[in-house]
Amino acid sequence: MTFYLFSPVLLFLLVILQVTILDLFSFGWIGMEISIIVVIYAGFHLDAFRGDILSFLLGFFMDCLTSTVFGCHLFLYMVIYGCSMIVGERVYAGKPSLIAFFTAFCTLLKGMMIILIYRFFFGSNLLHEMPTFFVPQALVLGLLSPILFNLFQRFEVLLNVEDRQPSRRI
Amino acid sequence: MLIPRKYLPLVVVAFLLLLSLVVLSYSAVRLSETGFLRKMILEAAVPVEGAVNKTIRAVDDAWKRYIFLVGIEDENRRLRRQNAALSEQLNRYREGYLEGMRLRKILDLKEGLSNKAVTARVVDHSRASLFKTILINKGTAEGLRVGFPVLSDQGVVGRIIETAWHASQVLLLTDGNSNIDGMIQRSRAQGILQGAGSAGCLLKYISRAEEVLPGDVVLSSGLTGIFPKGLMLGVVTGATRAGDGLFQKIDVAPAVNIEKLEEVLALIPETGNEK
Repeated sequence: MTFYLFSPVLLFLLVILQVTILDLFSFGWIGMEISIIVVIYAGFHLDAFRGDILSFLLGFFMDCLTSTVFGCHLFLYMVIYGCSMIVGERVYAGKPSLIAFFTAFCTLLKGMMIILIYRFFFGSNLLHEMPTFFVPQALVLGLLSPILFNLFQRFEVLLNVEDRQPSRRI
Repeated sequence: MLIPRKYLPLVVVAFLLLLSLVVLSYSAVRLSETGFLRKMILEAAVPVEGAVNKTIRAVDDAWKRYIFLVGIEDENRRLRRQNAALSEQLNRYREGYLEGMRLRKILDLKEGLSNKAVTARVVDHSRASLFKTILINKGTAEGLRVGFPVLSDQGVVGRIIETAWHASQVLLLTDGNSNIDGMIQRSRAQGILQGAGSAGCLLKYISRAEEVLPGDVVLSSGLTGIFPKGLMLGVVTGATRAGDGLFQKIDVAPAVNIEKLEEVLALIPETGNEK
């Protein structure tokens, strides 16, 4: 119950912190999109219902506060969550290298999807953003993800959420 | 159950994906009004974001005011050093300019004279001495001899009383030992301008009958042949006819500001020993 009560507020605050404080640390170069890591964490560690809610809410908040096309983040986060869920069911999700690699991959995937969405809906070409924005973002988020996963686990304990899967599951 | 439990999470995800895709497609092609829920989120975000940004600004200000002061202090020190160096440079340029102006005046004076002249720099003032003299950096090597007159752009300075190879001592016209033949420009009355130390000079041997007024200009008369005629000596500051003597007591302020002399011109008389 605690999860359902606090997670919307915490996710809302996370998005606000992301667009205010974390943007300062990126010096306007890359977006420090910690919410992607949260979605991946949800896919790896939370049960389907909670993960769905969390990803949906994060996408919704992101769309409300940052997105120019409503539903863009909603869709992207659901895709990332779906991928994370499938991967998390099949491999050991506690390995830092896997977390880092998968986060970087999802960030690039998100970048490619944004490029495709813009191409498909608006006819604009954002491919040049790939090496200058999405690749550095993928690297930074990939490096940060193992540390943040550790942090999220502590939060999870606070919110009394049990793991969907044991951490040493193969 | 219609859907196996094993695939239920995937089905939910697929449903949400489909839903989000529909939302995305709808909002991408149509410009719709902001929904109630989105309005609520935006409304809620404004004060929170405002508070966060205010905190960030406060921290940023504190950083700039206090911690960043270290950098400002360094910059301040560097700018002070730069300022000092530039002031020094400016001072040198100003000195050079003023020197140039003075030398130009001296040059003009030199060109206006028929005599040969040597420009010299004042090396020393004997301020505390009873004798009013200055030391210049030119001497016999440049053709100067004892008795040669010395001028500045303002007027007569004095005459040379000692010479070395590259230095000469000049007796100022304010020294009690200095006597220069002079005349009042307006009345052409002739006399001898004698030094009176700190009091300036006295114009002697002017008849009581002569009308002498303060402000009258005193020039060299050229009678003795040392000083060319018509050089500025000074200005009358006062004249009295007290006592039973034949002459007036005329006080004269030297035209030259002795204390501020830096460059002078030593004249080589046409009959003198030229180099």
